[in-house]
Amino acid sequence: MKDMLWELMNPLVMGILLGGLYATIALGLSLTFGVAREINLAHGDLVVLGSYFVFWMTSRFGWDPLLCLSFGVPLAFFLGYALQRYLLNYSMRLSEDTVLVVTFGIAVILQNLMQIKWGPLSRNLTQDYLLRTLDLGALYIPLNYLLDFVAAVLVMVALHAFLKKTFTGKAIRASAQDVTAARLMGIDVQGMYSITFGISCALCMIAGTFLGMTFPFTPFTGPTLLIIAFGIVVLGGMGSIAGTLIGGMAFGVVQTLSGYFLGLTAQMLVAFAMVLVVLSLMPRGLFGR
Amino acid sequence: MNSVGLKGLGAFFLLLGSIPLLLQNELLYVYVFLYLIYASAGTMWNLLAGYSGLLSLCPSAFIGIGGYTLIVGTWMGIPWPFGLALGGALAGLFAALISVPVFRLRGAYFTIGTFVVPEILKFVFLSWRPVGTTVYGRGAGYPIQGVEHIPAWVLHLLAVAVAFFCVTLVRRLTDSRFGYALHAIKDQEGAAERCGIDVFKVKFLAFLLSASLTGVAGALFYLNQRYIEPMSAFGMQWLVAIMLSVIIGGRGTIEGPLLGAGVYVLLYFLLAQYGELSLILQGLMLIGLALGAPHGIMGIIRSVLYKDRVVLDPKV
Repeated sequence: MKDMLWELMNPLVMGILLGGLYATIALGLSLTFGVAREINLAHGDLVVLGSYFVFWMTSRFGWDPLLCLSFGVPLAFFLGYALQRYLLNYSMRLSEDTVLVVTFGIAVILQNLMQIKWGPLSRNLTQDYLLRTLDLGALYIPLNYLLDFVAAVLVMVALHAFLKKTFTGKAIRASAQDVTAARLMGIDVQGMYSITFGISCALCMIAGTFLGMTFPFTPFTGPTLLIIAFGIVVLGGMGSIAGTLIGGMAFGVVQTLSGYFLGLTAQMLVAFAMVLVVLSLMPRGLFGR
Repeated sequence: MNSVGLKGLGAFFLLLGSIPLLLQNELLYVYVFLYLIYASAGTMWNLLAGYSGLLSLCPSAFIGIGGYTLIVGTWMGIPWPFGLALGGALAGLFAALISVPVFRLRGAYFTIGTFVVPEILKFVFLSWRPVGTTVYGRGAGYPIQGVEHIPAWVLHLLAVAVAFFCVTLVRRLTDSRFGYALHAIKDQEGAAERCGIDVFKVKFLAFLLSASLTGVAGALFYLNQRYIEPMSAFGMQWLVAIMLSVIIGGRGTIEGPLLGAGVYVLLYFLLAQYGELSLILQGLMLIGLALGAPHGIMGIIRSVLYKDRVVLDPKV
C-alpha cells in the first residue's frame, strides 16, 4: 500500500507541475473572458503561433527560447492590441456570435499560415539543459516541468500585481465589473479591451514558449489547447487567476493519473471527457461567480 | 417569413434530379454531389445556428458518426440502404446523449461545449476498432466492405432526395408553432420560458433532428467516398464548409444554405490547386462576411428587394 502511494507520487507531482503549464495556456482566455466576456476561438492557435515564433528565432539566431521572449512578448502584445482594436471591438458590437465566427476564421487562417511556413511536421524547443532531471530519492522531476510551474506562478503574480496596483490594471477591472459605470468615470472601455487582448496574446506567447519546451507541437495543436484552456477556465471560474492555477493543476493531475492507470492514449480522452462532465455538472465552474 | 415557395423549391430539386437524364458528366456529378451534401448539412446547421440561436460547432461529430455507422455496418453485413438510415438514427441517439450536458450551457459556453465533442470522438475512433483487426493506411481508417460500385446516378438521386427532405422539413418547421418557439428562444430564452415554452424540449428536438439528418448526409458522403478515417471524418474542414455555406448564403433563411453551398463548392474547386492558401482564403471570407454582410447573399438580395421593410432578423 505504501509502495503504491509512493508510485503515485510521481504522476501526481508531474501532474501538478504540468498544471502550471496548462494554467499559463488558459490564463489569457480567462482574462479576455473575465474582462470583455469575449471567447476567442483562436486562443490555442495563438499559443502555437508563439511556439513557432520562438522556434523560428532559435533556429535562425541560435538564441535560447527564454531570450526570444524579450522580443516575442511585446510583439505579441501589439498583435493582440491591433486585432482587438481594429477587428474584435467592432465584432463585439455586432453580436456575440460574430466574435465566435470571426475568431474561428482567425484560427483557420493561423493554422494554415503556420502549415505553409513551417510544414506539418512536429517541432519542439527542447534545449539540452531542459532534459536534465532532479533526482529527489523516489521522485524524478524533469527540469522543464519545474520551469513550467515556476514560470506559471511568476506570470500569475505579475498579472495579479498589474491588475491590482497599476492605474491601467484598475481601469481594466473597472471595465470588467460595470461597463456603464466605467464609461461614466471616463474610462475608455474599448481601449481597455484592446489592452486586455494584447496582454492575452503576450500570455499566449509565454505559454507557447513553455509548451514548446515541454511537448512537441504541430500547426494543428491549437484546437486541443483551446479545449484544455477552456476546460481549465471552466473548472477555475472565468476571470479568476487563482482559480485558473487550481483548474490547471486539477487538469494536469487528471491527465497524468489517467495516463498512469489507463495508458498514454487514454489520457487526453479522459481529460476532455472531464471537461464535458464538469461543464454539464457545473456550467459556471467550480469557483464560478 | 419564407419568400421561397414550395413550387420554386420543387422545380429546383426536380432540375437537380433530372441531371442524370440530361448530362452524363463525371465531374458534374462530383460537384453536384458535394453541393447537395453541404446543402443538406448546412440546412440542418442553419436550423440550429440560424433559427434557434444555437451556434453549434459539432456538425462534424454527426457527419462522422453517420459515416462510421454506414461503413462499419457494411463490415457487419448490414446492407447500405439500412446503413444510411442507421447512420442517421445513431447520430440522433448520440445527440440525445450529449444534449443533457450541452444544453445546460448557454451562449458561448454552449458553443465551446459542442466544440469538444468532435475532438473526443477523434480520440475514441483513433483507438477503438469496432470490427476487424487490420489497420488500413495511416490512423484507424476503414474501407467499405462488400459493396459493389454503386452507379453515380443512384448516389446522385439519393443526395437530391436527402437535400430536398432537409430543406422542406426546415421550411415547414420554421413556419410552424415549433418554429415560432425556436425563434422566441433565440430572441430571449428567459422570456420564452415564461411564455410557457418548454425550452429544453424544443431545443432538444431541433438538435435531434439536425443531428440525425446531418448523420444521413455524412453516411451518404462516405458511401460515395468508400473509405473513412477519424481525422477527416471528425475534422475541422467539415465545420468550415458547413459554416461557410450557411454564412455565405445567409443565416436564418431557407435559401441561404442552398445558395451558399453552391458558392462554396464552386470556390472549393476553383481554389483546390492552392492547398492551404485556399483554406486561408476561406478563413478570410468567414471574417469578411461576418463583419461586412452578416446576413449573407440573402441579406443583400432582400435589402435590395424590400428596401422599406425590415425583413431580416436584426439578431443574427
